[in-house]
Amino acid sequence: MSEFSPKIIVFVCNWCTYTAADLAGTSRLPYPPEVRLVRLMCTGMIDTKYILKAFLDGADGVFVGGCHPGDCHYIDGNLKAEKRITGLQQMVKNFGIDENRLKLEWIGASEGPEFQKHMTDFVAQIKVLGPGQTKDRMIL
Amino acid sequence: MTAYVIKGNDKNPVQAVKELFSKLLENQVDYIFLPGKSPYSKLPMPMLISDTAHMENLEPLAPAAPFNSAKQAASVLKSNTNKKIAFLLKPCEKRALVELVKLSQCSIENALIITADCLGRMENSTYLGLIEDAPGLIEAFLQDKSFQDKITSSCSVCTQFTDSGSDIHVNLIGCSGSAVFVPQTENGEAVFKKFECDRADIPTARENEVEQITKKHTENMETLSDNVLSKTKDVEKFQELIATCLNCYNCRTACPVCYCKECVFLTDIFNHMPETLLNRADKKGIIKLPTDTTMFHMTRLAHMSHACVGCGHCSSVCPSNIPVADIFKIVSKNTQDFFGYIPGENTDEKIPYLNYKKEN
Repeated sequence: MSEFSPKIIVFVCNWCTYTAADLAGTSRLPYPPEVRLVRLMCTGMIDTKYILKAFLDGADGVFVGGCHPGDCHYIDGNLKAEKRITGLQQMVKNFGIDENRLKLEWIGASEGPEFQKHMTDFVAQIKVLGPGQTKDRMIL
Repeated sequence: MTAYVIKGNDKNPVQAVKELFSKLLENQVDYIFLPGKSPYSKLPMPMLISDTAHMENLEPLAPAAPFNSAKQAASVLKSNTNKKIAFLLKPCEKRALVELVKLSQCSIENALIITADCLGRMENSTYLGLIEDAPGLIEAFLQDKSFQDKITSSCSVCTQFTDSGSDIHVNLIGCSGSAVFVPQTENGEAVFKKFECDRADIPTARENEVEQITKKHTENMETLSDNVLSKTKDVEKFQELIATCLNCYNCRTACPVCYCKECVFLTDIFNHMPETLLNRADKKGIIKLPTDTTMFHMTRLAHMSHACVGCGHCSSVCPSNIPVADIFKIVSKNTQDFFGYIPGENTDEKIPYLNYKKEN
């Protein structure tokens, strides 16, 4: 049997982490192909239902990347995201979804190598955790 | 702490509460808001009264409520009318109202909030069945343990059946059939300066009885917790629990703290185009319609579990008898413990999701 290849959704903000991903690309820094980037203007616009939708539709992990505190283009969107995501980590635990499947990190626009490292580490972490619960299951 | 009883009316708590509100309406407030029956049904609904002639319709302390009246209270408080209104709320209704204040849905500046010890509420059908044969049910309920066993599951695990943040709290538990009024704010204290009433002591038996009920309800909560946890431990188990959901969204409508004017589940985001549904069916091979049932329940838990006041109305209105409130009780306890947040405690405490400014 082939190795488990997780499906990972990565929400990135337009101003920092997406730029970092861009930098990683132009710097030719390879990172695992399992990640699927979704670009948003700010992590503060991530409603918890986006993440739940990803989990229920078969994502094995969800990663959120935003600006460092103080660097947010919209002043404090990243801090709002931080509150929501820590709350959601507690919420999904109730349904047997490991809180480590949801991760929030601050990755600045110039941090291409950091982006590469976070992606590699997160994919490795999800591979250890194994497949999520929702794959091949009817979701009501 | 000073406490008061109504002169000459210290034996019937229902009459005592009515008399307090009657006196308030005579010369201290413009309107009173408390449960009452209509000529058409004995089910108590919130009534807004401007004239003491209608006092006989009132049913304060009735162990029934068709919904959490916080939303109705907010509807008369959502803009400034410069009118003073006195409210009689159950503790869970007062907590929900405080949450609505924090969410900028209303202001309680001109409101006089009066809460009463709550021994729980019955489901509407239970209450209507019983009151048909026993007209004195409301008074009897406060004394008779066999009636008190008929309360809803959410009420039987509630440990916040008294209140310490309202203007006046009506002590009933351990007061041997009388109502002892305890002012808890300056506004509450001022009420008793304006009419004649007797000073009283809070009966010593009260503390012990409150403790006993708390203990019993905590034990019930532990049993419920074990029961629910085994049914939600993974997504599959959770889906078994909600499999009969019709997507009617009654639970969301009944929820006093679900305050969005337009719920996202009623917008076009979830009003899928045929192509979307066909695509999904293609991808999975089979999908259930209507879609997004698990999504709905989980989203509501993610959005509102921090603010859940535990009133249990979501379960009461469910046509499929899904124990929505039991799930909410357990999940919200975890969320609230995590944030160290007690919803409805006071208006100064910030909602955890809005309390994000980093300290420098």
